[in-house]
Amino acid sequence: MVQTVAWVVSLVFILAIAVVFGFVAIKSTQKQDYEPIVKKWYKIRKVYGTFVVILMIVVMVYTLRELPFNQPVYSEGNEPVIVDVEAFQFGWKISEKEFDVGQSVEFHVTTADATHGFGIYDEEMNLIAQTQAMPEYTNVVYITFDEPGTYKILCLEYCGLAHHVMMDQIVVK
Amino acid sequence: MAITHKYTSLKSRDDKVVTQMIISGAVVIVGMIFGVLMLASQGGLIELSAASFYQFLTIHGTAMIGSAALATSAIMWYFLSHYVDLSKKIFNLNLVLFLIGVVMTIIGIFSFEYASAWTFLYPLPALSGGAWGTTGALLYLGGMLVLGVGFLLLYIDTGRAIIKKYGSLGKGLGWDVISGKKAEKDAPPTTVVASTMVTIVNISALTAGATVLIVNMISVVNPAFTFNPLLAKNLTYAFGHIFANATIYMAVIAVYEILSRYTGRPWKANKPFLIAWTMSTLFTMIVYPHHLLMDSVMPKWILILGQILSYANGLPVLVITAYGALMIVYKSGIKWDMASSLIFLSMFGWTAGVVPALVDSAIVVNHVMHNTKWVPGHFHMYMGLGVIAMMFGFMYFLAKNDSQLKTNGLDKFAFILYTLSMFGVCVSFLVSGAISTPRRFATHLPEWMGPAQVGAVTGIFVVIGILIFALHFVRYIFGRNKTSINSTTQETEVS
Ligand SMILES: [Cu+2]
Repeated sequence: MVQTVAWVVSLVFILAIAVVFGFVAIKSTQKQDYEPIVKKWYKIRKVYGTFVVILMIVVMVYTLRELPFNQPVYSEGNEPVIVDVEAFQFGWKISEKEFDVGQSVEFHVTTADATHGFGIYDEEMNLIAQTQAMPEYTNVVYITFDEPGTYKILCLEYCGLAHHVMMDQIVVK
Repeated sequence: MAITHKYTSLKSRDDKVVTQMIISGAVVIVGMIFGVLMLASQGGLIELSAASFYQFLTIHGTAMIGSAALATSAIMWYFLSHYVDLSKKIFNLNLVLFLIGVVMTIIGIFSFEYASAWTFLYPLPALSGGAWGTTGALLYLGGMLVLGVGFLLLYIDTGRAIIKKYGSLGKGLGWDVISGKKAEKDAPPTTVVASTMVTIVNISALTAGATVLIVNMISVVNPAFTFNPLLAKNLTYAFGHIFANATIYMAVIAVYEILSRYTGRPWKANKPFLIAWTMSTLFTMIVYPHHLLMDSVMPKWILILGQILSYANGLPVLVITAYGALMIVYKSGIKWDMASSLIFLSMFGWTAGVVPALVDSAIVVNHVMHNTKWVPGHFHMYMGLGVIAMMFGFMYFLAKNDSQLKTNGLDKFAFILYTLSMFGVCVSFLVSGAISTPRRFATHLPEWMGPAQVGAVTGIFVVIGILIFALHFVRYIFGRNKTSINSTTQETEVS
């Protein structure tokens, strides 16, 4: 799950940074001339900087391979179900609410009034996909449900006083 | 004043700056209390009506960004005024406009029940669903506009002063040094470089902000008026992201000035430093589309660029500034006191906060973490552990610099309390985000409440820690006023 990876990766790096700052804080009580420190650590910075740049490029290439807003190529005879979604203060108008496992679904999302957020949650209340519902525009979410169950639709962009109760559900059989 | 790397001795009194720090500090504390109340409500510990919750949300966001900007612009002004001639009138005018703006937003929110969150996404201010009317919206948006105009004038003045002394904003960023026309040793001081960057990005941000505020105000008055919602959203984030971000770039001036004084090691603006700041100038202005990664109607290349530039924008921090802070402290024999400790902590907070920010700026991650509490998780880290620590570090520095006031065990206790509890708040937000808790929800499902409760409790400790910091500053002000009555000579001597 993406969220778990994001959390563990962040935690590891944050702790690593804490260790480095802690190490420098401990070493700070010793006293040494700055000149040799500058020389030595500028050299190390080159290696460290190169490492950070390479790491970022690798992560970037890896994470940009498949984007959620790339329309999938549908195989012959496997036409996607197009679902029209219109958000309003404070609810959802969803043209179709029942789907089959393995079916390709496209949610075409817009809004009748303010900006809302269209978030799809699975049965364990994990966020699995989202887009923004913006006036005058239609954003698309491409999804294929792998698991049967009741999925919840939550508004994920603040839209007024009943924002948090703006929920709906869809069923995957 | 000669342009030199030697750190000039600081004037020991600056009432304008002190006043601005007091006001910012007070607003921060009030803002934090609203933050704790919201977390307590989400955690089911107290009951708030949805209307109150969203009013608190609106005031919290506005107050925290506003006070951070006010405090850090005072920090920038304090140090920059030692290198260039700044207008005291405009500095004071900004404070006056800030106060007027704050009063207007407060009346709009609490007397007219306005609650659009600080993001006020067009056309939300005009569409309250019966919750607020035209007056509330106009007071809030107008208040923000007044406040923005004050800051805009301030940055126009810093820009003017830098151009007057250094020739151009490009030279303020040391472009003539980067290109080799000028020697590294003649590079502008770090404070000037940072101030130039902030001047450039904030003039852009505030212009975008003023535009979208005016658009919203017209649409509130006349619903027949329409504007492109996608453009409005771009302008809103171009304003909000840059302006909030710039508070760190102003506050880091305190890091440069204070750490180099404490360690006796100069923080020189060499070529890598100047290149890093030019990168930050450029990227800070153009990375805001990472707020729009969930708008698939945006041109795809802009969104991909949004991710790439967000990564690139992490580089100057991770490779130059944080690294520089570590180098300057390493084996320096630095004397740790409240000022230096808070400043060092702030560099940790900033660097650590970059991590979850970078993680979230990957489009695939953003797809399932956008608008969850992960987002406040990362910015509470670099605002709370970063900017606020810089701000109070600067306050302790001021107090030490121009009074005999000693810190005591209580201050040390507050430092540890603050560090641990603020870290706790950040982690509670990040955990909430990892379990898909939406942000900006007045109430939480039972499975989301645990982290919110932890956040609320640790938040209370944060407030206690900050109150102790503030207490020291209050003691300093009273002590200082006494000396000024007793000896008027001191003032003339140092000015
Ligand atoms: Cu909503």
